[in-house]
Amino acid sequence: MFSQILEGIKIALSAMRSNKLRSGLTSLGVVIGITFVILMGWFLQGLDDALEMAFASLGTDVLYVDKFDWSGKKSWRETMNRPDITLKQCEELMERLKSAEVTSIIARKWQTTVKSGNQSYKGIAVCGTNSVYSGIALGVIKEGRFFSPVEDLYSSNVAIIGYEVAKNFFGEDEPCLGKTIKIRGTTFTIIGKVEKQASMFAPPFIDNQIYMPLKSFLGLFGAGKNLSIAVKAGGEANLDNTRMETVGIMRQIRNLPPEAEENFAINETEAFRDNVKTLRLSVWAIGIGMTTLSFIVGIIGIMNIMFVSVTERTKEIGIRKALGARRSSILFQFLVEASSLCLLGALIAFVFCSVVMFGVTRMDWATFLSPYIPPQLLLIATVVSIAVGVLSGMIPAMRASKLDPVEALRYE
Amino acid sequence: MEAPIIDIQSISKIYTMGEEKVHAVKDISVQIHRNEYVAIMGPSGSGKSTLMNILGCLDTPTSGTYTLNGTLVSDMVDDELAEIRNKEIGFIFQTFNLLPRYSTLKNVELPLVYAGISNAARREKAEKALRNVGLGDRMGHKPNELSGGQRQRVAIARALVNDPSILLADEPTGNLDTKTGDDVMRMFEELWEKGNTIIVVTHEPDIAAHAHRVLRVRDGLIESDTINEHRVSIPKKHEEAVEAEPAL
Ligand SMILES: Nc1ncnc2c1ncn2[C@@H]1O[C@H](COP(=O)(O)OP(=O)(O)O)[C@@H](O)[C@H]1O
Ligand SMILES: [Mg+2]
Repeated sequence: MFSQILEGIKIALSAMRSNKLRSGLTSLGVVIGITFVILMGWFLQGLDDALEMAFASLGTDVLYVDKFDWSGKKSWRETMNRPDITLKQCEELMERLKSAEVTSIIARKWQTTVKSGNQSYKGIAVCGTNSVYSGIALGVIKEGRFFSPVEDLYSSNVAIIGYEVAKNFFGEDEPCLGKTIKIRGTTFTIIGKVEKQASMFAPPFIDNQIYMPLKSFLGLFGAGKNLSIAVKAGGEANLDNTRMETVGIMRQIRNLPPEAEENFAINETEAFRDNVKTLRLSVWAIGIGMTTLSFIVGIIGIMNIMFVSVTERTKEIGIRKALGARRSSILFQFLVEASSLCLLGALIAFVFCSVVMFGVTRMDWATFLSPYIPPQLLLIATVVSIAVGVLSGMIPAMRASKLDPVEALRYE
Repeated sequence: MEAPIIDIQSISKIYTMGEEKVHAVKDISVQIHRNEYVAIMGPSGSGKSTLMNILGCLDTPTSGTYTLNGTLVSDMVDDELAEIRNKEIGFIFQTFNLLPRYSTLKNVELPLVYAGISNAARREKAEKALRNVGLGDRMGHKPNELSGGQRQRVAIARALVNDPSILLADEPTGNLDTKTGDDVMRMFEELWEKGNTIIVVTHEPDIAAHAHRVLRVRDGLIESDTINEHRVSIPKKHEEAVEAEPAL
């Protein structure tokens, strides 16, 4: 059996070698089909991974009580007219909320200018929050630590900086702990650095951020800010419960009558999932369509070349039959030949895909994709190519196996 | 007397081409015993090849029975016939019918591949068969690197490699010059002496003269079936002389 396969592959290879151009052209459909399968699988895999990473960094069991709606379902004008969420409202909500595991206030100042030594950068987001925030949605602290409850209480001038900030001021892998930065004239000591968090679904400012104790933030930028609150439910199972309680308390705090619409938003990572679902679906639809089309072209091509091969080798088939080849042996021989052609197409596609992946992952938007073909995709592509070979080789191989030996021997 | 190895009873073969029917073999009954050396003679179109194909189980008769080695083969289907051909029949064709892409050794191994014999055993048997026909030093050569006589000897090695009960040759010297044709006929003679059963189709009286029984066929019927009283046996040639035959 095995030696028959080897034999078949050898025959196919020598037949292909003797007609490189024709073999190449006919397996083009398969090459393109396999390329689509791999690229599509690769992209979707990357998408899923990036999504999971983004979810993990935002917390899958975290609700964000905010003035603005992430899902974009409300009009901009409507959300702009909503009242700000004040510090007092935040404190009341945190005080009364019983079902949540932890809560933390988040205050952000956009487009801040930050200095260090004689360097100055604009456009940095400063985030004032509580010490518990590190357990809710912060990325991994790569160096140093987050600020402590004591530092939070005494509004210490300490800061934790994001990956971009560290890179811009001090260089990518340079030590930055203990160094200082200046914001609005106040000097902050850097006590921690967050690992790179950028991904397709993370907010664009995620790495260009500086975290500091909420009180320090309020002292710096004033207390009249719009705030938001991160509410960690403590497990996705508790999410519904916590959401209900949060909404109820917020409505009470804002004295909303039962018929009034909410003038605040409860944001969740779930909101992303819907967006991604649409993206996934379109990638699938396009991918499946193109794959099917190229496989149809591929199957017709391979079938055609196999018919030619059978005709050209009628005499050979006659000889083999005279020597005792059964129908199944002849059938098998031509199926192996067709599959080898497709496998060759798959190999070309592997090389092509590797080049494409290498190129694409060097682009900024695509850093969430892995630069290698995932092994399970290699396996799938190999199996698919063999299946295509068997499918397209079946009819020609059947014809070959049923040839009458006397007729076949007479063929010149 | 020992049961015949080949026993055909009133077989006929009719080819239908559209409206027209060609009665290639009309009503032939023949028995051939082990270690006979039979020549089938007749003019072109008389039905020799058709008869040969039926004897070789490449084709089945339209009517009549064929018993080969005690097995009724005239009713067999494709795959069963393939197995019979593989085990019982060794073919030698006028045009050699070697696979051009395969080496000599591979060509000789082929019947063993279809017999399901393991790699190592296959190789050993094929090498031995090639040495027996004096081509031990040509195993890696492709057919187009060999002379006509050498090619036919490869074909003989291939026909013998699976120890068939009969050797069927259809115009085996038709594509060879007289001298190399004689070499092949000498080989047949040796095989016959070793106990093989040989059937040769030919229209050349010179070739038929080596057989010890001659079947004359005309218009799909056996015209005569005679013992060759004046057999011409070929004088043995020295081994080296065979080896010295120049390559093409
Ligand atoms: N496959 C076939 N289809 C139709 N007619 C055939 C076929 N094979 C042989 N014949 C006819 O049968 C007759 C005998 O042919 P064949 O056995 O080849 O004769 P020979 O070998 O003696 O020359 C011829 O008339 C030939 O034309
Ligand atoms: Mg003939």
